Amino acid sequence: MELELKQLRDRCIADLSAVTELKSLDNVRIKYLGKKGELTIALKGMGKLSNEERPVIGKLANEIREEIESNIMAQKQLLEQQEIEAQIKEERIDVSLPGQKHQAGNLHPLTTIINDLKEIFLGMGFSIAEGPEIEWAKYNFDYLNVPQDHSARDLQDTFYYQDDIVLRTQTSPVQVRVMEEQQPPLRIISPGRVYRFDEIDATHSPVFHQMEGLVIDKGITMSDLKGTLDLFAKKLFGEQTKTKFRPHQFYFTEPSAEMDVTCFKCGGVGCKVCSNTGWIEILGCGMVHPNVLRFCGIDPDEYSGFAFGMGLDRITMIKYGINDLRLLFENDLRFLAQFK
Amino acid sequence: MLVSLNWLKEFVDIKMAPFDFGEALTMSGTKVETLTVVSENVVNIFTGQITKIEAHPNADKLTVCTVDMGTDQRVIVTAAKNVFEGAIVPVAIDGAVIANGTKIGTNDFRGLLSYGMFCSIEELGMNTDLFSKEIMEGILILPENTPLGMDARELLWLDDVIIDVELTANRSDCQSIVGIAREAAATLDLPMAEVPVYDATAESADEIADYLAVRIEDSACPRYVAKMLKVKKIEDSPLWMQKKLLNSGVRPINNIVDVTNYVMLELGQPLHAFDYHSLKSQEIVVTTTADKKMVTLDDKEREIDESMLMITNGKAPVAIAGVMGGENSEITDKTSLIVLESANFNKGSVRLTAKQLGLRTEASSRFEKGVDPELAAVAALRATQLLLDIGACDVIEGMIDVYPQVTELKKVALDVNWFNAFVGISLTVEEVSSMLTRLFFTVKKISDAVLEVEVPSYRMDIALKEDLAEEVVRIFGYDRIPGTIMGGETMVGGKTPVQKFEDSLKNILVGQGYYETLTSSFTSEKRLHGLNTQLEDNLIPLINPLGEENSIMRHTLVGHQLEVISLNYNRKNPAGRFFELSNTYRKNTKPGELPIEAKKLAISAYGSGDYFKLKGVVELLLTHSGINDPEFVAGGSDFLHPGRKAEIFVAGVKLGEIGEIHPMVVKHYELPKRCYVCQLSFDELFECATLDNKFTDLPKFPASNRDLAILIKDEIPAAAIAAIIRKNSGEILESIELFDVYTGAQIPAGYKSLAYALNFRHHERTLTDNDINPVIDQILGELKQAFDAQLRE
Repeated sequence: MELELKQLRDRCIADLSAVTELKSLDNVRIKYLGKKGELTIALKGMGKLSNEERPVIGKLANEIREEIESNIMAQKQLLEQQEIEAQIKEERIDVSLPGQKHQAGNLHPLTTIINDLKEIFLGMGFSIAEGPEIEWAKYNFDYLNVPQDHSARDLQDTFYYQDDIVLRTQTSPVQVRVMEEQQPPLRIISPGRVYRFDEIDATHSPVFHQMEGLVIDKGITMSDLKGTLDLFAKKLFGEQTKTKFRPHQFYFTEPSAEMDVTCFKCGGVGCKVCSNTGWIEILGCGMVHPNVLRFCGIDPDEYSGFAFGMGLDRITMIKYGINDLRLLFENDLRFLAQFK
Repeated sequence: MLVSLNWLKEFVDIKMAPFDFGEALTMSGTKVETLTVVSENVVNIFTGQITKIEAHPNADKLTVCTVDMGTDQRVIVTAAKNVFEGAIVPVAIDGAVIANGTKIGTNDFRGLLSYGMFCSIEELGMNTDLFSKEIMEGILILPENTPLGMDARELLWLDDVIIDVELTANRSDCQSIVGIAREAAATLDLPMAEVPVYDATAESADEIADYLAVRIEDSACPRYVAKMLKVKKIEDSPLWMQKKLLNSGVRPINNIVDVTNYVMLELGQPLHAFDYHSLKSQEIVVTTTADKKMVTLDDKEREIDESMLMITNGKAPVAIAGVMGGENSEITDKTSLIVLESANFNKGSVRLTAKQLGLRTEASSRFEKGVDPELAAVAALRATQLLLDIGACDVIEGMIDVYPQVTELKKVALDVNWFNAFVGISLTVEEVSSMLTRLFFTVKKISDAVLEVEVPSYRMDIALKEDLAEEVVRIFGYDRIPGTIMGGETMVGGKTPVQKFEDSLKNILVGQGYYETLTSSFTSEKRLHGLNTQLEDNLIPLINPLGEENSIMRHTLVGHQLEVISLNYNRKNPAGRFFELSNTYRKNTKPGELPIEAKKLAISAYGSGDYFKLKGVVELLLTHSGINDPEFVAGGSDFLHPGRKAEIFVAGVKLGEIGEIHPMVVKHYELPKRCYVCQLSFDELFECATLDNKFTDLPKFPASNRDLAILIKDEIPAAAIAAIIRKNSGEILESIELFDVYTGAQIPAGYKSLAYALNFRHHERTLTDNDINPVIDQILGELKQAFDAQLRE
């Protein structure tokens, strides 16, 4: 019996090592260890054994069962490993082949600039206000303190829909609307489309974009105007940017100024971008004129504030080095796709 | 405006370098655009007198001139024809450089040496536009009394620096040398010289009355001053006067006209000189007339009308007030008596007249900005002084001055404490006072911190304390104001939900490969005509458009999207995907209200994808907006393909439309054969959107999936099938997806097979066949009944 068992074990081990596929491994297990397997059957013959032999053979049978099982396990691991290796070998790819094509579009460069500006001012506690593009003449001119006989009101300068309704020539009427509708303190910016009677060329367009800014509160000073816009310039053009405020004139601010920034291209040394002056004119600004405050129902003795306005198309052109304004409105994909 | 630095220096002792002076002026509010030396290159050109002219022995076209240079004699060979013995001319000697940079030496002209060259206007670097053709083409002949051996750079002010200043609209008082000199004096804190004027105090007032009376009949002329002079000789004005005119960009004409121009440039008061005898009248009337035509000084016939202010002789116009004189009363060689007009005209009146005539002159552009009425008398006396100085005239005693309402000087109070708080600096009362005094204000301290400031008449821009604040600050220096961060209430700011929504839609489209476009707001009937659509009557036409193609405000973005596709297609860009979120405009039916501006979102594509690709993007936007059950109903505008267009509804609200472009529209816009466009109303989309995100528990029970392939007539829309499936499934239907549409050999002609994957789930228990089978039966039952649909096995 002992011999029989040992032969059985040897046969099984031989069978196992011949197995090359995982699914055949179970067949070997059933053949030897299953209910009708060889070992099971062999053990059934144990009843015939003497009392002395039975524990000895029993122990041996158990040892052989364990040995077979551990051999099956080992063979299983081996086969699994071989299978994975085969799969890996099979599934090798040329990782240098190009990826599947996904194409994102992008925002128009003007929108990107507007977004940059918004982000800067939102961070300073500003909100974004909007107003109509087709606007009452009184909001575009009268309430902004523009004299009745000023040439800006002429048909050669301003588009008219009706005698008293114009296409706004500036985003400043939004100031008026905000001041009329809300109580100070106010901090708003208002980007948008504006219109002037200009034929389109490399630097002019009858449709263009401006951004207005307005701050009204008690105790707002010209120093605040300078500090705020200087900070803005540094955030938009870089920390090293310097600003220069020159006296200027606008009807709706007094005192008024124009702000230049050091040329971002040459850093102020002088180059083609800044016409060798080292400076680039960026915006107009000033302390809100008391007449404008009064028009809007705000007491100039109690409140003060500043306003600023800038041409967005121009800033877009400057920032990206675009040399012709018409490109912005033409929408050639080869242009649009450059501003990822 | 062009300002001669040399002329300016006659009033203010400017010692700093021109560039630095320009910077200083800019920083105090007079923006200097450019600084240009009249003739940068010219050196070693001196005056010389031609003493003898002889023929050249070897050349017919050349002459040989002996020239007295003051210190030596030299021979110059020339081809010039306008030279004569006795003429004083500029001579470029050995080593000279002329305007274009050419070096002049001693040259052999057919066997004779020429020790230099005579110079023309151009060779001297002077502005050739300001001279007649004859003068320009010949050698410059200088006045008889010109000293010999003088450096032409100094003599002709070729070394002068011309400052081009940009004046702001409010500073009409700066439109003159004196105006800029006042700014320079204030900026640099230097004294300023007075302008010498004729002293008329001892004159008899009667003499002029024998010749002339003046009547103003229109309030557009606040003041009219007239001075009369007897002409001694009409001739060229002296060189010193001519060079100032030239360096100011004004052409010298004769002594009388030059003086009027000189005074205008110097003081900013436009003057006009009439030939007294040509007036044929003893009165001047400032009024409007019914005359239709008049010929102006430039020999052009002008159409005039009764809206224009005229200077008349009581019967006919002799000048267009503030714009240009008439040819009928022009100064000629025969003029013996002149009437010098120094008048003030209303800026609005002059502006409209000049605009209507299309005639802007040095005079009109000054009046348009506003001239101080006080200047009229000063300018008349200054011109008188000059005419006497240059020996052009003798004076007729007395001056006519019609000045119905004398302007009073304004007084403005300035509280220095307020000023400091407003600007954010701290100046003393004395400092503020001294800066204002520098600017020619008369300042009186009326209390500890308050100044009473009397405003000079020419400062018509100063009325409020804020105006004075600017004056002080610009002299103090904008660059010296510290920059501070705003105090006051902390403000949160930020974007509104609708602004965030806009951004998110744009971001999705960008992520899906669409490019944002920027198109103009204008369109026209012609451009819209191509859209194959009956034009609505609620369009916004402009009164004064820039051409027909820009004559109305767009009510749709589609036209511009098609133009963008057309441009790209015609430029051989093979495919494109675009979007734009912009305003559209239409009439407001409510009276007294502004037109309606509605934001729309247009999305378009060509060259890749199809209707369903675009629809998928729209569905993505809608899903993102929290809209899960949009309806796409066949139909839409006429610019879309009748078989490939749909209107988009959400809960009964029409959001917009989508489709392929109609073949006819394709042809009209020169589009690729297949392009697709969708336009959504942004405002309505935002209204329908649900932007709150709420968490739902994850499902605890498994889902059951069923696939259904439905055989149905081709014309039945898939949406109708889905609607029946949804309706019969109730709440347990978690999702429905159409995963296959089949037509072809396997099924009868005129039929299609739609394969749906249905996903059922109950959130409180596991669904069994007993739950689902009856639902499926119900669905199939209704499909059979409604559309004769079969389950495809």
